[in-house]
Amino acid sequence: MMAPFAKTGLISEALNLWLAVPIGFLFGFALHHAGFTDGRKIARVFYFRDVDVPVVMFTAIATAMLGLWGLSLIGFIDTAQFYFLPTFLAPVAIGGLLFGVGMVVGGYCPGTAAASMATGKVDPLFFIVGFFAGSLVFGDLYPVWGDFYKSDYRGVWRLDQLFGLGLGVTVLIMVLIAIGGSLFMRMVQRLAWPGTFVPVTGATLKVQIILIIAAVVLASALAFYPTSDFLPAEYADSEFYIVPKASINTPAIGQ
Amino acid sequence: MNLRCKMPPVFAGILIGIVMLLAFVIAGRGIGTSGAMTRIIAVIQNTLAPGLTQASDYFSRYFAHGQNPLDNWLLYLFAGLLLGSFVASLMCRDLRFEVLKGPNASVLKRLLLAMLGGFLIGFAARLARGCTSGLALVGGAELAVGAWVFMLCVFAGGYAAAWFVRKQWL
Repeated sequence: MMAPFAKTGLISEALNLWLAVPIGFLFGFALHHAGFTDGRKIARVFYFRDVDVPVVMFTAIATAMLGLWGLSLIGFIDTAQFYFLPTFLAPVAIGGLLFGVGMVVGGYCPGTAAASMATGKVDPLFFIVGFFAGSLVFGDLYPVWGDFYKSDYRGVWRLDQLFGLGLGVTVLIMVLIAIGGSLFMRMVQRLAWPGTFVPVTGATLKVQIILIIAAVVLASALAFYPTSDFLPAEYADSEFYIVPKASINTPAIGQ
Repeated sequence: MNLRCKMPPVFAGILIGIVMLLAFVIAGRGIGTSGAMTRIIAVIQNTLAPGLTQASDYFSRYFAHGQNPLDNWLLYLFAGLLLGSFVASLMCRDLRFEVLKGPNASVLKRLLLAMLGGFLIGFAARLARGCTSGLALVGGAELAVGAWVFMLCVFAGGYAAAWFVRKQWL
């Protein structure tokens, strides 16, 4: 297994840091081209007036999900050396609700605010000043909510473990949810704001249909292919294959 | 927005998915933004009021063993992010010093609400241990239960509060 490069020693720690710059560059570039450097576009999702935000999120998640677990399946990426996000259920739920309120009030999330600021906009600058203040209040008054912050720890807890299904089948379900969710959001926008709805047509539509079919085919391969045949014999029952990883210990404070 | 620079959402999503995948394959971790921004404000506070930072269990760990919180993978990513959107807006010729607001909102109201929203998100991102990129997208791809709960709650919170700030946007 070659990846993750920084963990298998293929590249040095210093190179790993510097490679984060072009990765970030591509991220900022994509955010601007998605139109996410405009807070109005992000806020409009909460009125179903422009649902590009969930469509982009669903597509990005499906792409990275198929890539990560597909590369794990063929033995390219060693998930045992991978940092997986732990789940603290109650803090993530309360944090999410507050985050959503902040998003419709402020019009940005941290990444889009930073990207928008870099395009010269002034409103994300105020958003970031507010973000700094919110972070300081959390960190400086940490004893007030520290116990809650560390509560309800569930380890590295994945959807396949929650559903009691195989990981490949879960990937297929989530890819179908991403496709269905995107189409559903588009449908709601079309019903709610018929005047602003721009249908996808022509070559873009054809390419999107091909991509959707490719994603479903790939996810089905993950779900139904006999995985033991997918792997070289010596790896067949080794740890790195997409096994439950809930036992991974993570520090209580996290990143 | 220059139409030439408008990427269809599915293509933009795939590009962001590839960005996440590159981070997975190269660094063995996910992308993220809120962590970088919190490290920046922690350093600013440590310069202006070191006592407050040292007294905080949450911030002091960033400086443990003489570490520089800015010498971190997330900060390199953050620098690239700023550069990437800056270059994109140069290419799209929409690099402009302006306030983006709804048709019926005043500039002052927009800026104050942007700050209030930022405050809520600054707090919420710390409580949830991440934001849209580092938690929702990355955790979503990792199939993390917490990330999907976060996403559902973000949209629940947003739709619940949307009515109260509708005049700002519509």
